[in-house]
Amino acid sequence: MKTARTVFLLLATAFFFFGPVHAHQQKLAITRLVFNERSGSLEVMHRFYLHDAEHAVRQLFDTTADILATEETRVRFGHYVSELFQLRDESGQIIALDFVGQEIEGNHIWVYQEHSPLENWQALSVRHGALREIWPEQTNMVNIEYKAGIRTLTFFESIDELSLTLRAPDGHQTPE
Amino acid sequence: MTRQLSTLTASTLFAATLFSLSLTLPLAAQADAIKQTKGSFEDKFRQLDETLPTNNSYRTASGQPGHAYWQQQVDYTIEATLDEANRRLIASQTVSYANNSPDTLKYLWLQLDQNVFKRNSLSELSDDFGGTGRRGPAVQAGDADTPARLSLGELRRQQYMDDTELGYEIHAVETASGNALPYTIVGTLMRIDLDRPLNPGSDTRFRIDFSFNIVEEDAISARSGYEHFPDDERPGGNDIFLMAQWFPRLAAYTDYEGWTNKEFLGRGEFTLEFGDYEVAITVPDDHIVSSTGTLENPRQVLTATQIQRLEEAENAARPVYIVTPEEALENEREGTDGSKTWRFKADNVRDFSWASSRKFIWDAKGYQQPGADVPLVMAMSFFPKEGDPLWSEYSTEAVIHTLQVYSRFSFDYPYPVAQSVNGPVGGMEYPMITFNGPRTELQDDGSRTYSLAEKRFLISVVIHEIGHIYFPMTVNSDERQWTWMDEGINSFLEAVASREWDPDMPWGVEPSDIVGYMVSSDQQPIMTQSDSVTRLGPNAYGKPATALDILRETIMGRELFDFAFREYSTRWRFKRPTPADFFRTMEDASGVDLDWFWRGWFYSTDHVDISLDSIYQMRLDTKDPDIDYPRRRQEQADKPESLASARNREQGIPIWVEQNPDVRDFYDDNDQFTVTNKERNAYDSFLDGLEDWERTVFERAVAEDKKYYVLEFSNIGGLVMPLILQLNYADGSSEDMYVPAEIWRRSPQNVRKLVVSDKDLLSVVLDPRWETADANIENNHYPRRIIPSRVEAYKAAQGSSLIGRDIMQDIKTERKSANTEDETEQ
Repeated sequence: MKTARTVFLLLATAFFFFGPVHAHQQKLAITRLVFNERSGSLEVMHRFYLHDAEHAVRQLFDTTADILATEETRVRFGHYVSELFQLRDESGQIIALDFVGQEIEGNHIWVYQEHSPLENWQALSVRHGALREIWPEQTNMVNIEYKAGIRTLTFFESIDELSLTLRAPDGHQTPE
Repeated sequence: MTRQLSTLTASTLFAATLFSLSLTLPLAAQADAIKQTKGSFEDKFRQLDETLPTNNSYRTASGQPGHAYWQQQVDYTIEATLDEANRRLIASQTVSYANNSPDTLKYLWLQLDQNVFKRNSLSELSDDFGGTGRRGPAVQAGDADTPARLSLGELRRQQYMDDTELGYEIHAVETASGNALPYTIVGTLMRIDLDRPLNPGSDTRFRIDFSFNIVEEDAISARSGYEHFPDDERPGGNDIFLMAQWFPRLAAYTDYEGWTNKEFLGRGEFTLEFGDYEVAITVPDDHIVSSTGTLENPRQVLTATQIQRLEEAENAARPVYIVTPEEALENEREGTDGSKTWRFKADNVRDFSWASSRKFIWDAKGYQQPGADVPLVMAMSFFPKEGDPLWSEYSTEAVIHTLQVYSRFSFDYPYPVAQSVNGPVGGMEYPMITFNGPRTELQDDGSRTYSLAEKRFLISVVIHEIGHIYFPMTVNSDERQWTWMDEGINSFLEAVASREWDPDMPWGVEPSDIVGYMVSSDQQPIMTQSDSVTRLGPNAYGKPATALDILRETIMGRELFDFAFREYSTRWRFKRPTPADFFRTMEDASGVDLDWFWRGWFYSTDHVDISLDSIYQMRLDTKDPDIDYPRRRQEQADKPESLASARNREQGIPIWVEQNPDVRDFYDDNDQFTVTNKERNAYDSFLDGLEDWERTVFERAVAEDKKYYVLEFSNIGGLVMPLILQLNYADGSSEDMYVPAEIWRRSPQNVRKLVVSDKDLLSVVLDPRWETADANIENNHYPRRIIPSRVEAYKAAQGSSLIGRDIMQDIKTERKSANTEDETEQ
């Protein structure tokens, strides 16, 4: 069966931590996707728990990689996340994202990307595989902040790609 | 900038509060108590009592145990043997069940949690392949385009379950006199039919003989199990055994749910009864056992040296090794054929757990709590070399720090021991004993080092799990139903204790951190049964912890919050609270109506986004025409010149009145603001018409000539919160102002606040310290300020971080510099 072979190739090095959820390795990342009218760019801001990232880089790069200690590891992590995040427009065209950088703030590490200028996209397809290839139980939430509303795409378990049409959602958000 | 509106007279100043309310159409005409079909009003402050369960003689409307409060008492005597070679546990337990309820019980329900690992368990059978919220290895279901995927972890799990018979084997269920009792196993539950109905106030005894194969934690993802160390010198390696959910435990019988026999699905944890335990644990005689309870036979299982070290530890300034790293290393190299029986006794605990291994290093330090029921607590840690040197340094100290902080917030630590054990479980709690996962890295030179992040992980996970001995091990909330009651409360206190350990470390529970979850469309209210929550981390840990932090720091203040929280803790110490008891007690003890807060934060998925939309300035008219009319004239003069007039002037277009200066009349010398005696007489009669007190008030207000500012706010996120304002004045000074959330009670979408000041207001910031989890900072500034996005801010100032270099390892780096004579320089 084709699927089983994929598994072994993709996940042969995976090592899983399990255990009750606690405040540290949450395996939950939240991404903000913001249409910044002021700067005219589409901004992508990924927030990972530092403790998740710390364990992840040891599996992704090498066992001595230390995201807190070395800028090089942080940059590698930033590029890694950027490569596994993908946006396509309604025609399936990839929306190229420029890598901006990454930084540690509190117990999180942020990774930034952007696309400039803003275009009149009708729909977006999103892929966010960061850390999900090493810990498939990793959950990545993407909050699309479009107009005055926020809609969330959640990547967990079997979900690789999600799409949404761009229009202000119904709800109690105040229209602008 | 404040906006200058037309000036208002004294009489209209008060009318200024009658601005027409903006009308928004209801989005859906669905009637409920909070939002009706008519109008747009939402009763954000609607009292909670119609939502909370009706109070009764067991639970009062004030949130304390009622005069007829009862709970069952379940005592256990257990003889257990660890079969190390086969990784099996064989045990016999005698249960004494006291029926303190007012009900007659014909049968008893027990929890057989090991059965969750059976192939035919409800958890396994109801597993949504590729679905959300599942504990354990990952799978991806696939679709037309994507192949389904099983991770190696999942395959390992499947193979392990094929190869190993898991779940309980029940060998006997008998009365005290040896008669078999009929029993029925329903998944992770077992019903025992009693030989005669158990009346209120009666008790019964029965015996269960059982055994099971211990799961391999890394293969199965459990809260207990064994971890294998194949590389140890001992042939075949060694194991650490963490034993939890290891004996058939009585399900709780409660006043609010009857039998809490909702099947264990792997997520919602445990609902348990208090009782006394006597447990004899037989293990290989070179094992060290850490367990709930006090060791009753130290002379049979410990050496004289170990007993002496334990005594030394009672008053030691730093943890004392009971088993040193060297002794543990020696121990794990060899095996044994003999066995020893460790006897433990624990009173008034809701569960019993233990750990056993020949790998354990063991340290201890006494924690004195003078005047407490238990004046001396032994804080102890058990860990393999794989946890050192981190564990020797910090584990036991972190245990003691937790006791100090949590006791201040609740009650004296109620048990004689508090333990932290390192094994395969990332973090899990039981009475008097916790399992914690952090490890160190073996370096090529044979030493072990750890990063700053791993150190933080150890300290905070120990605080978190030891904290659970208070909540829910002593304040016995129902974990199966309400994960937030133990995880949320405990995460809140963990953050408090962590800050008191080292405020410079970023320990979490900053209100702004939860915004991403609270604005998302992938969430449920906190008040959702645990197994139905999609994102348990932010739902049951982060959001309620943030809510409590905001209650303490912002809504109630520390004094009122701490008093009320301590009241909740002591009221429900060794009892079983429900969410309603918590909500009611916090109000009852503080005198603060928090129903709006519970509704918004715990019963809804609204978020906080309050906008400071505009500010209008007003000035009180004096009514004196000789003052007011010149002011009007000045206002007119201050307006910009008409653009058309200015251009006419620039172009030299002739103006008739300028070209005909000889044609003048009265109005050329007296403008529209000229005061006549007609106005002065009106002013005099206005003053004459005032009552004495009115005149006094009026004259003072005129003399003070204060500035009146109306601040307009709108509620975008839905959650009502206090308005925390920083008022910045033209003279450079600033002032804080706190407007309670109740301002929203009759107008939940828009409110106005009048600010009266001597000074000119220049700008206002709403929530300047980010204490309310407000999702949009930009609309908190008036005048609006451009808040750079994270991307913009990052580009403006490239961030970098020096924290958490593994300096322990880096310090060994050889100097490569050619200037060897400079080596001694820093």
